[in-house]
Amino acid sequence: MSDVSGREVGRITPTAALVKAMLPIALVALLILFSAAESRVLSLGNLSNILNQASYLAIFASAQMLVIITRGFDLSLGTCVSAVSVTAALVMTGSLATEEANALAIVGGVAMGLTVGVLCGLFNGIVVAIFRVNPFVATLGSLNICMGVATMASDGRPVFNVPREFSNIVYSGELFGIPAPILIAAIALIVLHFILAHTVFGRGLFLIGANPRAAEVAGLPARRYVTQAYVLCSIMAAVGALMLTGRTGSGEPNLGGNLTLESIAAAVIGGVSLRGGVGGASSVVLGALFVTVLSNGMNLTRIDGNVQMIVLGGVIILAVFLDRFRSATR
Amino acid sequence: MSESAYGAGRPGLGGEAVAQQIMRVGLLPLLLFLSVAFMAVFEQKFFGLNNLFNVLRSTSFLAIVAAGQMLVLIVAGFDLSVGAVIALTSTVMAKSMAALGVMFPEQNAIIIPLGVLCGLGCGLFIGLINGLCVAYLRVSPFMVTLGTLSIATGLALLLTQGIPVYGMPDGFVTDFGRALWFGLPTTVYIALVIILLVWFVQTRTRLGRYLYAVGGNLQAAIVSGVPARRNVILAYVLCSMLASTAAVLMTARLGSGQASMGGNSMMLQSIAAAVIAGVSLRGGVGRVELVALGALFLSILTNAMNLLRVDSKMQVVILGIVLVAAAALEELARRRRGHV
Repeated sequence: MSDVSGREVGRITPTAALVKAMLPIALVALLILFSAAESRVLSLGNLSNILNQASYLAIFASAQMLVIITRGFDLSLGTCVSAVSVTAALVMTGSLATEEANALAIVGGVAMGLTVGVLCGLFNGIVVAIFRVNPFVATLGSLNICMGVATMASDGRPVFNVPREFSNIVYSGELFGIPAPILIAAIALIVLHFILAHTVFGRGLFLIGANPRAAEVAGLPARRYVTQAYVLCSIMAAVGALMLTGRTGSGEPNLGGNLTLESIAAAVIGGVSLRGGVGGASSVVLGALFVTVLSNGMNLTRIDGNVQMIVLGGVIILAVFLDRFRSATR
Repeated sequence: MSESAYGAGRPGLGGEAVAQQIMRVGLLPLLLFLSVAFMAVFEQKFFGLNNLFNVLRSTSFLAIVAAGQMLVLIVAGFDLSVGAVIALTSTVMAKSMAALGVMFPEQNAIIIPLGVLCGLGCGLFIGLINGLCVAYLRVSPFMVTLGTLSIATGLALLLTQGIPVYGMPDGFVTDFGRALWFGLPTTVYIALVIILLVWFVQTRTRLGRYLYAVGGNLQAAIVSGVPARRNVILAYVLCSMLASTAAVLMTARLGSGQASMGGNSMMLQSIAAAVIAGVSLRGGVGRVELVALGALFLSILTNAMNLLRVDSKMQVVILGIVLVAAAALEELARRRRGHV
């Protein structure tokens, strides 16, 4: 997958190439550093564990990336994940679930979860694109609304007894020896890459983010595209939420937690610019891998969870330094 | 800043004339009047002395933080770290007071000022990091303050391991934090003084003018010789210091330093109060007296919903809807005025 950028990339200078290679180099350096301290880091089991964990983050980060490209934000991503998880679990454990008809319940639950995602995305998109409310405030509002929905629907308690078959498919399932989460994430990212790089809609998003005036003059239906970007973002978040629900085996009203901030951090670390117009599936994969390797390595080397928070904060600030540098060399 | 900048304004929706009228009178005073009138009819308990004190206290805390948030919003910035600064200030102050208490037993004149200074130092420190990164590196304030949010929260938790910190002098809590001066909570006076000071800075000093200039049109401000960087840094430092001040007051009231103080809800509420008061996220617009009213409105709303036994989960939803509605109305009014 090549990096997609809405901006005209000229001749690639050596510095630009170096900056571009910085993240993969940092990733490898991080792995070597951690493996020096703790040999288990590079074990096969742990590496596949890292890939597995990164696939969730990659999905959430790419959802976030879609709206960041249009100079937007989705603060509601985390609570949307909670709302999707709870409502889907409620349907799965509800009246549809009988001994023989679990399949129906699962399909119903997935449909419910995706519907909640679409609704949340539509709300965000319409408020941002049609009412022109600042994306921060708009999604701050829907953050609250989704949180309320998630806790009200579940009474603040986890929804247990999600059918085991669901977890068997989306969590522990395998196809050709590839674990389901990695497979789902890979498919989602390939589809996303195709949309961003090869469709009018995808190219339009980059133009809208890079130069809104130009996009309008060029006759792009900016409002519709931006609304669609928010809907697509929430749908991807819903997919991730369903995967997480399968992993925990219950619908959790607190599932979203720090996902919003983590997803933004992973996207920006990967090189998605908050100034809009820059991003790509490969950036998100790298960003998600980097954050996952960092936290996995710190866990294995038994670094205190609070120190981990401080390190993550430092890395985020470092990443925006880098972004600054990158856009200067571009 | 991340503006939703696609496309210039198009002919707006219907009902704009109504919106314009409302904006001219001022939406906030109207909303405040309506909510108080509503409570007068439906829930007399609202006017109990203790309840009014509660409303005033929470308004004061929120107004101080929101005033700081407003300063940063005026320079077209953002501060996500205010809640984390509150947590850090609270724990550092309580820890240092406890430590000083061991070194100088019973000497409150030393313990309290030094402890408060340690707390405010945290605000200064985080504010400087935020301001320097935003002003000199021109990086997105969102990311910088997201980073410092994570750092400050991590530090606060690391210092306390999540356990409340006791050991502050009793006098600090009973004679200051929980005390009444002339029949009103101490916090209210301090909040009033701070709001007056910020109002004075905004309307009567060069710093205030410069902040508006930098946020309104950065290029024009630089060309006119406004030291833009210094003013942006000052805005972030003042914001964090105000959050620290609120943390000192909250800690004094609570009687212990807590890493869970502030948190994300304070950050979100401070932004909500500012937005409801018409502070533009595009920068250059914002008045502290309206922000104080915004804080008052949010506090009354929360308190009223508590008294009316609105489910706490439902309250969150209502706050979200109020926020979006306020922002949408402001946007409508802005378009009507033609500042597009």
